[in-house]
Amino acid sequence: MKRALYVLSNKEDAQDVVQEVFLAAYSGYDSFEGKSNPLTWLMAILNRKVADFYRKKYKSEPNIRLDHFFDETGSWKNNDVLNDWNVSGDGDELLDSADFNKTLEECIQELPARWKILVKMYYIEEKKAPEVSQELNISTTNLWKILQRSRMQLRECLEFNWFSRS
Amino acid sequence: MIKEILHKLFLPCSEATLLMEKRNAQSISAKENRMLSMHLMICKWCRMYKQKLEILDKVFKKTFSEKETEINEFEIQDFKNKMIDKLNF
Repeated sequence: MKRALYVLSNKEDAQDVVQEVFLAAYSGYDSFEGKSNPLTWLMAILNRKVADFYRKKYKSEPNIRLDHFFDETGSWKNNDVLNDWNVSGDGDELLDSADFNKTLEECIQELPARWKILVKMYYIEEKKAPEVSQELNISTTNLWKILQRSRMQLRECLEFNWFSRS
Repeated sequence: MIKEILHKLFLPCSEATLLMEKRNAQSISAKENRMLSMHLMICKWCRMYKQKLEILDKVFKKTFSEKETEINEFEIQDFKNKMIDKLNF
């Protein structure tokens, strides 16, 4: 339930999806062979149900514009990308900071729901792009575009709300 | 001016940043990989963005695979009730 709510960021949607997971688990219990941990099994059903939900909800082609970041020649509009972040190591230090986590969470919440779910699924599925694009029924080209656009926005949000302040 | 010519010859930054996503997921073709590497040699903006992207990737890997959202007891109970209704027990 917590995982569902985290991925979907919407209480009603998460409740619906988790209900479906339990109903599917209840009717499919015979096929569960006990080879894996029951929680892992439920999580696998959850990922499938989140994908079903996403496919049903977002049928049209996504509209992804980059003109906020790049001019008509495709060059960066702003120089803030050049600011030094002064991060050493692999980002562990950042995640140890409660304030950074809060800022990161706020920046993630600002992404459109459609992208947010996709980015989270992409990482939960360990970046297996063909699987994610198939499950969510979008082309891999659009998957790259949404990832690119989401990450651009998160980079900019963290730049203004964290790195330029600390 | 030089920047514009180079970007036309090789790749615009808007494309290069897309290829970075593909490279990051190891889904980049050899040709795209070469084009991206050449672009990175001449473009300090994208070089810097790439560094930041690597940091973001590590941060996301950790944060998205572990995070869950807190739910209070009342909401859990409410959910259980709805579930029981649905199953008609």
